[in-house]
Amino acid sequence: MSEDAGMEAGTLAAELETAAVSTKSEFRRGLSDTLPVLLGVIPMALVLGAQAAQKGLTVAEVPLMTGCNFAGGSEFAAVKLWTSPPHLLLITAMTFLVNSRHLLMGAALAPFLKNLPKRKAFPALFFMTDESWALALADARKRAADGISQCFSLPYYAGTCVGMYLMWICFTTLGSLLGPIMGNAETYGFDMAFPAVFLVLLKGMWTGFYKARPWIVSLVVAGLTSLLVPGAWYVPAGAVSGIVAASLWAREDYDAAR
Amino acid sequence: MQLDNVLTIFGMATATYLTRILGFIALRNRKLSPRAMAVLEAVPGCVLISVIAPAFVSPHPADLIALGITVVAALRLSMFSTVVVGVVSAGVLRHLLG
Repeated sequence: MSEDAGMEAGTLAAELETAAVSTKSEFRRGLSDTLPVLLGVIPMALVLGAQAAQKGLTVAEVPLMTGCNFAGGSEFAAVKLWTSPPHLLLITAMTFLVNSRHLLMGAALAPFLKNLPKRKAFPALFFMTDESWALALADARKRAADGISQCFSLPYYAGTCVGMYLMWICFTTLGSLLGPIMGNAETYGFDMAFPAVFLVLLKGMWTGFYKARPWIVSLVVAGLTSLLVPGAWYVPAGAVSGIVAASLWAREDYDAAR
Repeated sequence: MQLDNVLTIFGMATATYLTRILGFIALRNRKLSPRAMAVLEAVPGCVLISVIAPAFVSPHPADLIALGITVVAALRLSMFSTVVVGVVSAGVLRHLLG
């Protein structure tokens, strides 16, 4: 009896050890997959910090914003709208609108986070950026295709988040210090890092033209909206019209079959 | 630190965190139909392609050519190589074509 229990405890300890090792390696895998993304993030962070300093935000207030809010697009919009004193309601509302795509992103993550306790899921969501979300989802789909049942890897996601978070805060702060001596990052081409990253992620999600039809709707609507409407409206416009298209096509596929 | 600035920053942080958790909360305890799952499967691609859509309608030829090169690179190369190709081609073409 006691021997059995001893054996079981031994196996359990070995399993826990393997789990700890794989947690560490999963975290590292997430961190290293984030490195190419940082090539685009770092110049943007420097530019944001510089712009914020120009609007009168102090070197302490910049990391407070980028650390508590941690959503680049909305921070660029906020800094553009910043006055002294700032218009609290306007900036808060704009922040919500610019980040409204997170609603869809969180919804898409929900099936993967279902088995996670709330005390882990809610902190994890605080760090959800386009980049970490896309990397973790693409990774989860790849693992699911490989037959791994726990396809969403929380330590992998944590690795991407830690990389993004530390770099974003450090380099926005540095930007606010260096502000006046920096030029325009766009003249060098660093902004192309974002389309590059997202195109590779899209290729990873590609499962044939049939399933990608909604993407084309999104691309066309978002592209036209960005030409015709000032501001960041093209993101919700493109995303929502693609999803409406997906929903109509899915009705054909599923409800018609019944 | 100015109180107005700090309050506005907390307003932003609250708004952003709400966007991050509300979609998750809405779907967390739902059993989704196959149709809903199919729609949800399309969401990531639709969001990603919408975020980068302005690059596809840029008025600058240099940007469009660089994007074309980046698309080809994305189909063939790793993430890191694609980013390098994209950044370098955009930088060089903008320098050459203005």
